[in-house]
Amino acid sequence: MIRLKNLVAKYTTVRGQVAAVDGVHLEVPDGIILGVAGESGCGKTTLMKVIYGDIGFPLSLASGSVEYGFCTERGEPVTTTNIRDYWFKRISYIPQSSMSALNPVIRINRQFVDFRRNSKREADILDRVRQYVQELGLPAEAIDAYPHQLSGGMRQRIMVAMATFFHPDIILADEPTTALDVVVQKGILLLLMNLQEKMKNTIFLVSHDMGVHYQITHRMLIMYAAKAVEYGDTNAVFERPLHPYTRLLIESLPTIGDTQTRQGVAGRPPSLWSDLRGCRFADRCPFAREICRMEEPQLREYCAGHMAACHFVDRFM
Amino acid sequence: MNLIKYIAGRVGVYLMVLFTGITIIFFVPRFMPSDPVEGYIGRMVYQAGQTMSAEDVEQLRESLRELYGLKGSLLSQYISFIRRALISWDFGPSLAGYPKPVSEYIATALPWTLGLLTTTTVLAWTLGNLVGLLAGFFHGNRITTVLEVIGVILYPIPYYILALVLIILLAYVWPVFPLSTTIMPGALTIRKLGEIFRNSFLPGMALILAGFGWNVLGMKAMAYATKEEPFVTYARLKGTPSFTIMFHYVFRNAMLPQITALALHMGMIFNGAVLTEMLFSYPGVGSLIRYAIGNGDYNLIYGTLSLSIVAVATAALIVDLLYPLFDPRIRYR
Ligand SMILES: Nc1ncnc2c1ncn2[C@@H]1O[C@H](COP(=O)(O)OP(=O)(O)OP(=O)(O)O)[C@@H](O)[C@H]1O
Ligand SMILES: [Mg+2]
Repeated sequence: MIRLKNLVAKYTTVRGQVAAVDGVHLEVPDGIILGVAGESGCGKTTLMKVIYGDIGFPLSLASGSVEYGFCTERGEPVTTTNIRDYWFKRISYIPQSSMSALNPVIRINRQFVDFRRNSKREADILDRVRQYVQELGLPAEAIDAYPHQLSGGMRQRIMVAMATFFHPDIILADEPTTALDVVVQKGILLLLMNLQEKMKNTIFLVSHDMGVHYQITHRMLIMYAAKAVEYGDTNAVFERPLHPYTRLLIESLPTIGDTQTRQGVAGRPPSLWSDLRGCRFADRCPFAREICRMEEPQLREYCAGHMAACHFVDRFM
Repeated sequence: MNLIKYIAGRVGVYLMVLFTGITIIFFVPRFMPSDPVEGYIGRMVYQAGQTMSAEDVEQLRESLRELYGLKGSLLSQYISFIRRALISWDFGPSLAGYPKPVSEYIATALPWTLGLLTTTTVLAWTLGNLVGLLAGFFHGNRITTVLEVIGVILYPIPYYILALVLIILLAYVWPVFPLSTTIMPGALTIRKLGEIFRNSFLPGMALILAGFGWNVLGMKAMAYATKEEPFVTYARLKGTPSFTIMFHYVFRNAMLPQITALALHMGMIFNGAVLTEMLFSYPGVGSLIRYAIGNGDYNLIYGTLSLSIVAVATAALIVDLLYPLFDPRIRYR
């Protein structure tokens, strides 16, 4: 179980501080794929950074912490303060663009081992890596190439291989396929799914594509303007969304055989800089009432494991 | 196959550059106001007084022209010049120091210049880039900031001022180093090596200080920008040690334009040589060029200038050929 405890993360800028993740408090069961969705700028990447423990100027953790559910050799629980020691050993990360995430002037095999400080013999590791990338559908020689000699899809497979080779407990994938064409995207996502099934690790998958979320995630987190607004099993969220924002997101998905044009969610999210009172979605919500503008709704559990932050959840129950 | 094409292309460009440069060198001195043959004849006539008849003078003129390769039409002079410059590397005798051949002058002077200038250019490049890398990578660190500021201060100071300050401080005020270069002829012994080092120290120091700042600034800007590249961030998130990130990720990428700059600097070695060798009375090619021009010595001018063109072009060729080793993306283009 991974516990996100009341996380508040702020960026320091010349204009002052802005909270890009504001009070996210969740428990994520082990061994699932958790989808994270929400509009651009709602804080998904920031949440991933916080979970990864990559906190440094201008980002700071104003309050809260993450408990990862495993312990150090001395038996202390690993939290935000010491997660760095486990980077790419027990927690890893798949970047958005493999093109720019690989050093262009160094062979991939070097980049595969240069973060393991003199553990075993490098040649042995590389032999295993060669075998491993073959399991992932790449030719063994791919790791001896320079990044520019591989196609976009092959490079992204290399990134997946790097992130999974050491069998980490947690993998963060922030839009791992946005830079790829649809067919290659599907291949990569299926690969991730299969690996997760085998290794039983927890994957955080950020994507704008609700279709992807529906197909491969087990649970969903919907974010809106730095807040978690809905959290639950993917099937439940898609079948009975509790928050009006989630509902609008799902309704904007096209279905086969459907003739009417789909509309996006009208309006824009509030600026994180403005004075935020009440429900942050109120301005765009078709059901908003007086109370929505006055009082902030808390994330509450309505059915087993299904939570939402809305004053009028009952309307959808 | 691509590699061969690449090399052939570069060598082709190299030969073109050489040819163009040597052609320019052939024509430019011909527009100089001083004619070496007339100058020499004038001196002879002056010494001999009235004993030389007009016929004698005319005969002397003919034989001198033939000797110096100034005979025949411009075209035939040009063709024979190209042949001698590019193939046999023979520029005939020096006019001012007749009959000592130009190639001999160059052979004596060249090691001095090459030794001093390649050493200092490479040292300035290495030190400057190292400091620039540290300053860019550890942006805000106190020690690297101090080093960087030294570079920034040195950079705009004209070279001759640096040189004069060094001369005043280290040759006059504290006479640690000799004022002008004096090296005894003789076999190369350990003692002589020490002497060469002592004599070359001041000009070398001035050159290193002058080249240092430029390299610091260039590298710092590149390293600072490269540090923000996604692949550096990814390496950091992998947990790659800082030292590896600095050299394998930041430096390996940031140095690419700096290598081109090194080639350009290497090529301009002879420009720097004239000034350096004048200021420090250093017995190299720079002094030789100055001497040749001062005396209207065509052959020596041809020889020294051709040499500098060959040096510039060769340095550029070598870098072009080595560049794919540093940037694998170039290889197949
Ligand atoms: N380095 C930064 N400095 C200041 N503000 C930042 C910085 N990075 C992000 N922000 C702000 O934090 C908020 C959340 O950004 P974040 O990158 O987490 O969004 P996101 O949900 O990942 O968006 P996208 O879907 O476009 O990737 C945004 O309002 C953004 O302006
Ligand atoms: Mg993002």
